[in-house]
Parts: sequence; structure tokens; C-alpha cells
Amino acid sequence: MRIALSTLCILLVWQLLALVVTNRLLLVPPADVASALMKELKAGAIATNALATVTAVVTSFIVSVVLGVAIGSALASSRLLSLTGGPVLSALNSVPIIALAPLFIAWLGLGFASKFVLVLLVAVFPEVVTTEAGLRATDKPLIEAAQSFNATRFQVFTNVTFPFALPFIVSGIRVAWARALVGIVVAEFFGSFAGFGYAIMSASQTFDTAKVLGYVILLGAMGLIGSAAFATLERRLAPWKFE
Amino acid sequence: MNPLLQIQGVSKTFTRNEKSAVEALRDINLSIQEGEFVSIVGASGSGKSTLLRIIDGLLEPTAGTVCVDGQTVTRPGTDRAMVFQQDALLPWKTVSENVGYGLSIANKGKREVATVAQRFIDLTGLTGFEGHYPHQLSGGMRQRVNVARALAVDPRILLLDEPFAALDAQTREIMQTELLSIWQSTRKTIMLITHQIDEAVFLSDRVVVFSARPGQVRDEIPVNFPRPRELAIKREPAFGRLVDQIWRLIESEVRAGMRQVD
Repeated sequence: MRIALSTLCILLVWQLLALVVTNRLLLVPPADVASALMKELKAGAIATNALATVTAVVTSFIVSVVLGVAIGSALASSRLLSLTGGPVLSALNSVPIIALAPLFIAWLGLGFASKFVLVLLVAVFPEVVTTEAGLRATDKPLIEAAQSFNATRFQVFTNVTFPFALPFIVSGIRVAWARALVGIVVAEFFGSFAGFGYAIMSASQTFDTAKVLGYVILLGAMGLIGSAAFATLERRLAPWKFE
Repeated sequence: MNPLLQIQGVSKTFTRNEKSAVEALRDINLSIQEGEFVSIVGASGSGKSTLLRIIDGLLEPTAGTVCVDGQTVTRPGTDRAMVFQQDALLPWKTVSENVGYGLSIANKGKREVATVAQRFIDLTGLTGFEGHYPHQLSGGMRQRVNVARALAVDPRILLLDEPFAALDAQTREIMQTELLSIWQSTRKTIMLITHQIDEAVFLSDRVVVFSARPGQVRDEIPVNFPRPRELAIKREPAFGRLVDQIWRLIESEVRAGMRQVD
């Protein structure tokens, strides 16, 4: 409901702006974008691009979540690892990995592999950080209670710290999803033969503003759907935090 | 008769770094008989909770030993169970799962866990709340879950760390009488840490008074009111006199503790 309302507002403002700005290279009204999208859909271009983008981003994203949670757990479990590995990871995190996209494409070629690696690298850090933070933030009495029942380290992890960290991890996943979408588009800008990023790039080279905006909207929808789904999941996993 | 719990020369010093060390406990000697109800009172920072954690096996003493039935304690075991202050329940588990928690950590079968959990849910007056989550319960109900969880592993010694401190005065009194009736029906050995002198006197066979940091046994006061006890004894003059006597023992320590800077 709220989403529908805000979408309507944006459409209205957009339409009004398009009445003022008449240069169709700079701005096109919503109706033109819709018809451009319809044309793409009928031509099958949306399906081809969506397939390329979604397969790459989803596989890479899943791997990044698994990897990020594993690295974060390792960091939280060992002081030594956290002290040695932590600074390396934060240094890597502050490097604008996106800027390395041309390099990855040179190494891995055009297509799936370079997209996969780029998305993986941008999306993995939020999960590492939130997993470690969540595990470390676990209330001490909860850990003590488990230890008092003679729980092993592994049992403390599976029964206490990991469930406690789950909502943190999901919020990390939400951030990572947005970053993954940026990563995929940039990877596709620099070199690929299909995908939303590729379509935006080629449309902008032919000054087809309606098509550019159409694909941007599709990307926005992907981001929104992911974000809403993960927010719901977060509330489901930790109802005690929201009451 | 040999005491069930024997604390011999237990000292504990926490070392933060080379420069700062805090001596929490100094040369504690205590014996507790099977089935006895003993409370420890003392000013904040007198190391009461530290002693309880050493008995439970969560902390190692710097010196001295704790023996349960002749066996030296080195780590937590099912012969002892701890009731923590509030919020030691797993928020994502139901009442029934929380009560069965100790048993599931001990890898007992699902059916056994459920059966035993139900027995202690009924005993602690939690019937009807099996499927609730901790955040849906009042403070008093949450502490019932805490007590039931500790009882479910069938320990010989129940260690209670200020279990009612976070409750309002009325709920606390109710919980005290319930604890007494649980103790009478299960015949566990109980060691209770509390700030409330009247709580200690009302519940215990013996009150151990700790001095402030470092915690030392200042005195041991036997409480001879007949059992079963009713809340009404709290209004008897003899009860008041005993509370007063213990208060005088720790008053100066409490005042000193207030001026202490951590």
C-alpha cells in the first residue's frame, strides 16, 4: 500500500517534470518508458537480459552470503584470526572494488566469470562484518547459561550465538543485495553481451533515454523486492526485537 | 555426615593486565549439607556471584577447591544447575523448549526432553504457557522458566544468582513462597545469592554474611524458624530482629562499598 502510494507520487512528479523539460534526450515521460519496456518485452530482449543478469547476480550473491557468514564466523571464533585477518579485510573493504572491474574483465574475460567475481567481492563484506558483529554481540548471560549446562563450543555456536546473530546477518544480506546490484551493472557496463547493465549501456549510446530509464526501473524493482523480502525475514527471525 | 558441597580455601583474583588485579574472594570455607538451603548476603562487589560461578564450574578459583560429594569441581556438570538473573532465556525458543534446553544440550531424545520439561512446567506453575516466547511473559513468569530449566536437568545442587532481584516486591514474595514449596517437594540442596536480607532469612536454614571486596565469610547465622514457613513470619518480631542483626553486620560494608570506585 505504502509502496503503491509512493510509486504514484514519483510518477506524478516525473510526469510534471516531463511537461517542463521538453528535451526528450534528457527526460521522457513515464508513458514513453512504459511503451519502450513493452517493445523490449515483445522482442524478447527483457527475457534475455534478465536471464543473464539474474543468473549471474543470484549465484554470486548466494556464494557471497555463504562465504561471508563462514569468514565472519571464523573471525568471531578466534581472537588471533580477528586481529590478523580483520585489518586486511577492512583494508580490502575500503578499496573501491568497482574500480577494478576493467581489470577483472581483462583477467576473466567477458561474461559470467568476471561478473561473478566482481559481485562476490562487493557483496561479501557486509556479511562478514554483520556475522562477526552479531556473534560477538550475543548476550553474555545466554552464553553462560549454555556453558552452565556443559555445552560444547559447537553447541554454544549452534544453540546460542548463531541464532542470535541471524537477524544481524539478514540485515547484512539486505545491504549486500543492494551492493550486488551495483556490482552486476558495473560489470555489465564494462564488458558483456547481455544483461541489464549491457542494455543500459547500449541504449545510452544510441540516446534511447526511454529504454535506459526502463531498465533502471527494472533494476530498482529488483532491489526493492529483495530489500522488502529481507526486511520481512529479519522481523520473522527476531520478533522479540520489534515488540 | 560428609557435606554435599565443600568449599575449601577458595580465593579468586581477576587479573586484567599486569598493573590491575581485583581480588574478588579471599579464603572462603563453607560446607553445605545435602538438602540444606543456604543463602549468601553481602554488599555489592563482595564476590558472591563469583563464588557461585566457581561452584558451578564456569570460573576457576585462583586457589582452593570446590568439592561436590567428594569430587573436585573443574567444569560445569549436571550435579549442579544455575538459575541466572533475568534474560538468560533464549528469546527464540518457547517456554517448553527453554525448560528442556539443558536436556537437549545433553543430547537427550526429543520425547524425553518434552516429557521432563512438561513435568517442571507443571511444577513451576507455567502450565498453559508452553508455547509462549520469553518476551511474551512477565518478569515473574520468566523467572519460573529459569527455575524450571535448572530443575529439569535434575541437579543435586541448585545455585540461584539473585533470581528475584529484577522483580517487583509483590511478585518477589510470591516467588519466594513458590521456591520454598519447590524446595520442599524436590529436596534439592540450594545455595542462593541475594541482596535482600529478609529474603535470605525467610528462605534459608543458614545465612552466610560476606564482607565487601575482597569477599570473605564474615559470619554464619543459623535460622531456626520452623518449617513449612508462611509469609506471615516476616512480620514476627524475632524475624525482624534477625534481619536487623544481619543488616548491622553488613551496613558498614555497604557504606564503604558506596564510596568505592571501580
